[in-house]
Amino acid sequence: MEVLVSQALVSGILMGLVFSLIALGLTIIFGVMNIVNFAHGEFLMIGMYAAYWSAVILSMEPLLTLPIAAAIGFVLGIASYYLLVRHLLRGPMIAQLLGTFGLMLFLRYLALFIFGPNFKTLSKGVLIGKTFMMGPVVIDWSKFFVGLLSLVSFLLVYWIINYTKTGKALLATSIDAEAASYMGIKTEWMNGLAWGLGGATVGIAGALLINFYYVYPTVGILFCMLAFATVALGGFGSIKGAFLAGLIIGLIETFFGQFVSSELKFAVIYALYFIVVALRPEGMFGWK
Amino acid sequence: MALLEVTNLRKEFGGVIANDNVSLRVEKGEIIGLIGPNGAGKTTLFNCIVGYLKPDKGRVRFKDEDITALKPFQTNRKGIARTFQLMKVIADLTVLGNVMVGSFCRTDNRRIARDKSLEVLEFLELQEYSNAYPTELPIATQKMIELARALATKPELLMLDEMAAGLNPKETEKMVALIRRIHSEKEITLFLIEHIMEVVMSISERIIVLDGGKKIVEGPPKEVAEDKRVIKAYLGERYVKG
Amino acid sequence: MEVIKDIFDFKDFSRIEKVILPLFFIFLLIFPWTTGSSFAKTVMINFMLYSIFAMGWNSIGGYGGQVALGNAQYVGIGAYTVALFMVWWNMPYWLSLPVGVAIAIGWSLMIGYPLFRLRGHYFAIASIAVSLVLQDIFLNWDFVGEARGICLPFKKTPNFLYMEFTSENYYYYFLFAIFAAGFLYMNWFRKSKLAYQLKALKSNEDAADSLGVNIRWAKTKAYAITATFAAVGGSFYAVYNMYIDPYAVMCLDLSILIALTTMLGGAGSFWGPIIGAAILVPLDRYLGAWMGGIRALRGVDFMIYALIIMVIAAVEPRGIWGLVLRARKRR
Repeated sequence: MEVLVSQALVSGILMGLVFSLIALGLTIIFGVMNIVNFAHGEFLMIGMYAAYWSAVILSMEPLLTLPIAAAIGFVLGIASYYLLVRHLLRGPMIAQLLGTFGLMLFLRYLALFIFGPNFKTLSKGVLIGKTFMMGPVVIDWSKFFVGLLSLVSFLLVYWIINYTKTGKALLATSIDAEAASYMGIKTEWMNGLAWGLGGATVGIAGALLINFYYVYPTVGILFCMLAFATVALGGFGSIKGAFLAGLIIGLIETFFGQFVSSELKFAVIYALYFIVVALRPEGMFGWK
Repeated sequence: MALLEVTNLRKEFGGVIANDNVSLRVEKGEIIGLIGPNGAGKTTLFNCIVGYLKPDKGRVRFKDEDITALKPFQTNRKGIARTFQLMKVIADLTVLGNVMVGSFCRTDNRRIARDKSLEVLEFLELQEYSNAYPTELPIATQKMIELARALATKPELLMLDEMAAGLNPKETEKMVALIRRIHSEKEITLFLIEHIMEVVMSISERIIVLDGGKKIVEGPPKEVAEDKRVIKAYLGERYVKG
Repeated sequence: MEVIKDIFDFKDFSRIEKVILPLFFIFLLIFPWTTGSSFAKTVMINFMLYSIFAMGWNSIGGYGGQVALGNAQYVGIGAYTVALFMVWWNMPYWLSLPVGVAIAIGWSLMIGYPLFRLRGHYFAIASIAVSLVLQDIFLNWDFVGEARGICLPFKKTPNFLYMEFTSENYYYYFLFAIFAAGFLYMNWFRKSKLAYQLKALKSNEDAADSLGVNIRWAKTKAYAITATFAAVGGSFYAVYNMYIDPYAVMCLDLSILIALTTMLGGAGSFWGPIIGAAILVPLDRYLGAWMGGIRALRGVDFMIYALIIMVIAAVEPRGIWGLVLRARKRR
C-alpha cells in the first residue's frame, strides 16, 4: 500500500508539472489581455505533432525536439494574435469567444487534413520505455525528464516575466495597458509577445507530452479543459496559482485514478473545480 | 419619521476611510444637497445607502425599515432610485427600452410598462428620442435618459449623483428646472450630490457637507456657504461656475 | 388573452421581415412534398432542430449575454429521459417528455444559481465543467448504457405514442410543430419583461441592478428557458435517431456548436439563431457529404466553416444579423 501511495505521489507530481506548464500559456495570455484562448488545446496538439514529426522525419531524439516545438508554438501564437485576436479586441467578449473557437476548429481540422485521424505515438527514443527505481518506486525515465523539463521551462518563463525588462513590460501591460502605453511600452507588441510566449510554452509542453502520450487531431480538448480548470483554480492570470493548481490537479488525477476509478478521474477534477469556483469565484489562490 | 435615516455609517477601503461615522436624516419632501471636495466620500455614501457597497458599520433605514443589508435591486423596489456619476446607459436598448426596464420594476405587463415609460418621457420632454439608441445622443440627453429611467421605477427618494457635471450652462439651467419640476410635480424627495455650487445652493433646502469621510456641517444653504469649516475644506479648490 | 395577442404580434417587423415570415413558414410546410430526397429532409430536420437549440440558447447567451457552454447536458437530459423511460418502463414519449423537461429545468436551476455568481469568461468556462462531469458519469454508468449508449425499442407498427414512424415526413411535421411553438414563444419572449431585463444586465449590470432587476434570478430564469429548449430538442433527437450515446448528445462539441450557431447568426436578435442554423447545418451536411467522400479533402469542410466563423467574429461580432443591420442603416 505504501508503495502504491508513493508511486501515485511521484507520478502525480510529475504529471502535475506538465499540467502546470500547459496552463502557464493560458494564464499569461489571460493575465496580459483578459482573453481566454479556446484554441489553447490545439496549440498543444500542434506542439505534439511538431515534436512527433521532427522526431520521425529527422530521426531526432524526442527530447531534443523541444526548441523546434517551442519555435513553432511561438510563431503560431504571434500569428494568431496579429491575424485574428487583434481584430477581436474591439468587439465584445462574445466575439473573442467566437473567434478563438473558430481558431480551435480551424487548427483541429487542419491537423486532420494534414496528418489524418490516426493516433500516433513515438516508439523510438533514448528514454522511451526505460524505467529506474527510486527506493520501491518505479519511475519512467521519460516521465521523470518530462516533469523535470516542465519545471525548468516553468521557472525559465517565470524568470523572464519577473526579472527581464521585456517581462516587466509585460507585467506592466497586464496591470494597466493604458498606463503602460503612456510609459512608452508598445502594448500591441506586448500582447503579441504574450501570445508568442503562451504558444511557445504550450508547444514545449506538447513536445514533452508526446514522450508518453499519443497524439491525434482532437487531443487538445481534454487538455484544454484541464488547463481551464487549472487556471481557474489557481486564479486567472496568476502564474504561481497555475503552478500550484497544476500540481494539485496532477495529484488528484493520479490518486483518484489509481484508488477509486480511472474513468471518473477527470469528472472529479471538473466537479471539484466547479465547487471551488462556486464558493470562491476568484479561484483558490486568486487575490485579484 | 424620517424617510431615510443613516446612523454611524462607516466604510473603509483597505485602510482608507471613505465614510467615517456619518449620520443623517432625510425627511419626506425635502431637497437635500450633499457636497464636499473630491474624495470626500459622497459617492461612497450613496453606494452604501442603495446597497451597492456594504457598510462596515452603521445602519441605513428607509421608511422605518432596516435596509442596510439589501442589494441595489431590493432598495430600488423599496422606493429608492439613483443615477450614476459616470453614466451607465443600456446601449442595447432604445431610449424607450431603457425607460421600460425601469417601469418593469413596478409591473409585469409590457403594455402598462410602455405607457408609463412614454408618460415619463413626455414629462421630461424626451418623446422625440423614444426610438433612438442612447449612445447616438448627446451627453446631456443621455443624462436625462438616466433620470427618466430612475423616475420610471416610481421612487419616493431619488438620489442624483452629479447630474450637472459635463453640461454646458444652458443644459445645466434646463436640468435644474427639471429637477425642480420632479420635486414639485411628482412629489419625490431628492438627495443630490453636486459639484457646481450655484446649482446646489439654489436648489437645495438643506445641505450636508462631507470632508475626509466625515460630516462636518449641515444646514440651510446660506449658513453652509458662510461656514468657516466649509470654506476651509474647499480652500484651494475654485468654485467651478457651470 | 393578451399573451395570445403578443405571441402573434409581428407588428414591429420591418417590411422585408413581414414578407419573409409567411414565405418561410409556407416553405417549411410544403418542403417535404417538393423533394423525394431523404437526405434533403434530414438536412431540413437538422436545420429545425439546431434552430430550436439556438433559439433557446439565445435566451441566456444572446439576450442575457452570458456565454453558457454546457448546453449539451440539457440535450442529453431530454434525450436520456425519453430513452430510459421507454427502455426500462415502456413509457410513451408524451409522458416522458414533460418529465425530461422538468428534470432539465430543475438541474438548470440547481447549477445555474451558483454559476451565476461568476461573470464573463469565468462563467463561460465554469459552465462547461458541470456538463463534462455529467458526460463522464453517463459514459461509465451501467444503467444508462455507458459509452455503448441506448437503442430505443422498435415497435412493430408505427406508433404515435412512442413517436416511431416509418416515414421521415411524420418526424418532419412533428419537429415543425415544435419549431413553430418555439418560434412563437421567442416572439413573445423578446418583448417580455425578462428580455428587457436581460438586455439591460447584458449592457450594464450596475444599471440593471439600480433599476430593480434581480440579476442572478433573471439569468437563472433565462438559463431555465435555454435548458427547456435543449431538452425538448434532445427528446426529439432520441426518438428520431432511435439511438443515443453520451458522445452524440452530451459532448462539448455539441455545446459549442449550439453557441456558435447562435453567435454566427446574431446573438440577441430574433432571427439570428435561425439564420445561424440555416447556414451552419446545410454547410456542414453538404460540404461534409461532398468533401467527406474525397479522402484527400477530409477536414477541409470544417476548415472552411472555421474560417467563416473567424471572419465574422473579427468583422461583425453581432453575426450575420449585424451585417443585415448595417445594410439597413446604409439605405
